[in-house]
This record gives sequence, C-alpha cells and structure tokens, in this order.
Amino acid sequence: MTIFRSVLKLAAVGTFATMQLAGMAQAEFAAVGNPKPAVILFGPSNDGGWSQAIDEARQKLEDELDMRIPQAEEIPESATAIRPAAELFIERGSNIIIGSAFGYSDTFKELAEQYPETVFINPAGTTNGPNLKSVYGRTYETQYLCGMVAGGLTKSNKIGFVAANPFGLVNWTVNAYLMGARQVNPDAELSVVFTGAWGDPVKERAATEALIEQGVDVVGQHVDTPTPQIVAAEHGIYGTGHHRDLSEFSAATQCSSVWTWDRFLKPEIEKIAAGAFEPAPYGAFLSIAEGGGDIACCGDAVSEELKAKVMAERDAIIAGKQIFAGPLSDRDGTLRVAEGEVLSDGDLWGMDWFVDGVTGQ
Amino acid sequence: MSDLLLNWLINIPGFAAPFAIAALGLIITERAGVLNLAAEGFMLAGALAGVGLMIHGAPPLVALGGSVLAGMAMGLIFAIMAASFRINHVIAGLALVFFAEALTSYIASAERWTNKAISGLEPVFLGQDVIVYATPVLCALTVWMLNRTRFGLTIRAVGENPGAADAAGIDVTAIRFAAILIGAALIGLAGGYLTVAVSRIWVDSVVGGRGWIAIALVIFARWHPWRALLGAILFGCIEALIPRIAAAGFDVPRYFLQMTPYLATLAVMIWAAARGRDRWSQPAALGQHHIREERG
Repeated sequence: MTIFRSVLKLAAVGTFATMQLAGMAQAEFAAVGNPKPAVILFGPSNDGGWSQAIDEARQKLEDELDMRIPQAEEIPESATAIRPAAELFIERGSNIIIGSAFGYSDTFKELAEQYPETVFINPAGTTNGPNLKSVYGRTYETQYLCGMVAGGLTKSNKIGFVAANPFGLVNWTVNAYLMGARQVNPDAELSVVFTGAWGDPVKERAATEALIEQGVDVVGQHVDTPTPQIVAAEHGIYGTGHHRDLSEFSAATQCSSVWTWDRFLKPEIEKIAAGAFEPAPYGAFLSIAEGGGDIACCGDAVSEELKAKVMAERDAIIAGKQIFAGPLSDRDGTLRVAEGEVLSDGDLWGMDWFVDGVTGQ
Repeated sequence: MSDLLLNWLINIPGFAAPFAIAALGLIITERAGVLNLAAEGFMLAGALAGVGLMIHGAPPLVALGGSVLAGMAMGLIFAIMAASFRINHVIAGLALVFFAEALTSYIASAERWTNKAISGLEPVFLGQDVIVYATPVLCALTVWMLNRTRFGLTIRAVGENPGAADAAGIDVTAIRFAAILIGAALIGLAGGYLTVAVSRIWVDSVVGGRGWIAIALVIFARWHPWRALLGAILFGCIEALIPRIAAAGFDVPRYFLQMTPYLATLAVMIWAAARGRDRWSQPAALGQHHIREERG
C-alpha cells in the first residue's frame, strides 16, 4: 500500500500526470448545494487588523446570506491545530472552510485532498487545487490611493512607511504608495523602515519615531498593529492605515487600505452552491472590483479637492487602470516594465526592487 | 548627522532597560541553581498586567507594580514546579512560556485590551524615565546582595553545591523558591516596562522574544550583573540604531547588525568554554535538583 502511494506520488510529480489528476478531480467536483461555510481564524477576532477584518466579513455574510457561520479563533499555523478545527467543522456539516493564513497553506492542501467534497478558501495562502483556492488582494491598488492622500497632506515632501519584511507583497505596497503620492505631489520622497516582524509594536514605535526624527510628516504602514498611527497622533502628524480603518485607534489616520472579504466571499459562496466553483491554479488575485480591498477615506485633514482626486482615481482603477504600467524603471535605472506593458502577476509576487524616490534598504 | 547620533543616544536606555532588568532577575534565579527558561512568559504576564492597569486608569508606576506582582504570580507556579516538585527545569520553564502566551492572549482578548493606546511612563530627566535611572541602582543592589549579604551568599551556595548547603543547615528548597520569586518580580517589571514605557500598546506576544534575548544576555554576562548591564546596553544600541539608519537612508547591512549581539554571545560562550571554570562561570548546580536522600 505504501509502495503504491509512493508510486502515485512519483507519478504526480510529472506535469502531465498532475494535469490529468487535476482535470479528473475538477470534473468530478459537484455542487455543494446548501452551502455551510465555517471560518478558521489565525488571530483573535478582535485583533484590530487582519483577523478582525475576516471576522467582520463573516458577520456581514451571516446577514446577507441569512445563515449562521461558525468560527474558530486563534488557531496557530500548525497542522496539529488546524486539522482538528477543520475536521470538527466538516463533521458538523460544514462544506466550505475559510482559512486566514499563509501558514495554513500546506495543511489546507492535505485537507482538500482528503475531503474532496469540501471547498477550502484560504486568504493569504499559497496552495491551490480542484477544491482549494488561495486568495489575496491587489493591495497595491488601495495603497496607491492612500499614497495619494499622503502626497497631498505632506508639507515637508517627506513621507515615511513602516513595513514588516521586504518581499513581493510588501514591496509592491511600498512602491505603489510612493507612486500614488507622486501623482499628486511629484516632489514627494518615501523613507521606508522594515521592522522584520508583523506585529512587534516596540519595533514599530522605534521605526515611526526614527522616521519622524528624519522629518516625515505622514506615515503609511504595512504591519499588523496600529502602532505607527498611534505614534503619528502623539507627534501631531498624519498617517494612513492598512487591514482595517485605523481611525478607530488614532486620530492621525486619514485613509486606510482595508479588506473587503465579504465582497469576494458572497459571490464565491453562491458560485460554489451553484456548482460553478472555478479552481485557479495560481489562486485568485483580487482587484478592488473583485472584492480584494478598498479604501476607508478620508479623514478631516483631507481637502474636498484631494478627496475628489482620490475617488476619481479609485473609479479609474475599478475601470481597469493599471498601477504598474510601463514605462517603469527602478531606482537604479533598470527598466522593469516596458512601454505599453503591464507588470505580470509573477513579477509582482517576486518584486524585489523599488521605484526612484524610495529610500531604505 | 549629530541629530541622528543624539536621537540614537537618547533612545538607547529605553531599549536597554528591559533587557537589563530581566537579565538581573534571571541572574538571581540562576545563581540559586534554577535554570529559568520561562522569562518570556514572566515578561508577558508583566506586560499584560501593566497595560490592563493603565487601561483601568492606574498611574504608570502603579501599573508597573502590578507587573511585578503578575511576574511573581507566574514565578510562584514555576517555583512550585521547579523547586517544590522538582520537575525538570527546562520542561517546567518551556511549558510556562506556552501557558503564559495562551493565558495572556485569552485575557487580552476577553478584556478587549488589544491595540488600545495607553499614555505611558513619561521621562523625568534628560529624556529618560525613572525606571531607566533605577536600572543601575537595581544592578548595584543585586551585586551587593549576592556578594555582601548572608542571603545572597546562601543563594550562591545553593547554586554551586546544594548538597554542601544542605549539610550546613540551609533549606535548599526555600532558598530556591525565594530566588525564583525575586527573579520573577524583576522579570515581570521588565515586561511591564516594555508595554507601559516602550510600546504603549498590547498585542499578543508583544514581548517578541526579548525574554529569550535576556537568557542569551545572562550567558553573555557569565551570570554577572554589571556585565549583564553592559550587554543590555549593547543590545539596546543595536535596537535603537537599526530603525534610525534605515530611516536616514544609510546603506548598512541590517541583517549583520541584527546578528551582532548574538555573535558576541556566541564568542563569549566559546571563550568561556576554552578558558574553563573561573569565578564567573555558570553556577555549578544550574538545572540540577537537590534531593537529600540521593546525595552523592
């Protein structure tokens, strides 16, 4: 039996075999009929950020779809924690399991293979299959709009940005933020500090204070706590938030790039119920129009004129305007996107360069 | 450039103080022969108590008093496990860290303390708060206690040779119990300082591994309080420097800077191993239980 499995695994390595298997399973996947979603949250549902945004979407879905959606909170990113939570939901009749973390990817892949009748959806995940879809938002669209607000608010033309770790999905927000700022203020410069952690308020405070010492008067962020916004308020400067509308925590916040998972999940659950679930080999990468996010804008400091510009740009993005459209060079002068072209999704995920005007490692 | 230096210097003590205070607590506990790996958990308890009390309107110093008590409450559990029931110190310590992480998350979540900004401990002189000024005093007191008082000498005797201490009529369990509680009080204070004075906000796992750094710091310091203070300042220098060079746009390899304190710790450990035992080496009975009936 074990040998048989190993042979199967080996065979699956071949691209042809994988495609065959995926194709077969895809064809076999039937409608779930009566959808019963359940949510597995990585963090506490009142974390003020990522997890709470998913929880708020869950509550909206309960109203809109008129059903109860159970939820398990604070399930760490380890198979021994995820599996029992998911299996308990499945035993109780759930047929759509919604995750919430990058670290759920592998376990969700295993579960999806083990429970082919259940659909798994994982925001921030990386694995996909005939009944498993990882989803993420095109956060550069919303951060671009927040960048416009920052560009319009800055007097010193120095904007700061507190980010977690330098890799694709963080780097694209950094770049888009400055590109947005420069659309309304061509003299804007962006200093970015990477804290190396997603939720370390000690480092976030130090980073924000260091940026303020350098003369920045607006602070954007892509970390999980509202600390940069709170520090901005303490120093009487402005800020823009991420994950949720952070004006809840700080009067400094003038715009936030927010998650709108309900806008994606509602049609998705309805599609699954109708038997029209569309597997995506590389996951779903959602724009504002597809429910990938939006902005909560604008605070009192934003003029009507600036707000109108931001909203007009939002409409343009929804209508199909591309942020990373060529010609676009990095800060070393290397051409990254040629005239008339748009940066591919693969290049977005692998983005390891910054546009001119970004300082910091 | 001079601004950068000044801002850097001003910010070093705030980063160094929690490392130094936690390391002092660990030194007192470990000099009694109790290996304490639970520092991260004690700090979390102190950090949460500080934030909770601040949210309920307590002044910062009262909140820090609560941190001390919260640290001691965790210390009591550890003392019962490690000193009274003689459970393996490593396992008891690690279990307590996980317990504290879950417990603090649960309380913070239930009480809705997460992400609430608090006012914090204000500076009193030269941009530094009272705890920063208290840190060298605490260090001096620890040195004095360990070297000049009967109680301190008893702690060291228990940590070096519990059998001999027992034969001399010392209650090994009671001394270890006391050393754990005093240490936990200081570690709790360090955790409280981290949230009440530095981050001014609670999020889950806010301590962020600083308890583990304190453990490394104790090894770096070879269980000596003044060297621990020096090491804490080194760690504080790096923590305060990294965001500043990034914000100023200097092209310095950040990852190498982050490694520096650990490289220094490794170097000291290798140096100590090569040099052999001396007056300032690891307590001889560190991590060993003393059971009178099994005395060799």
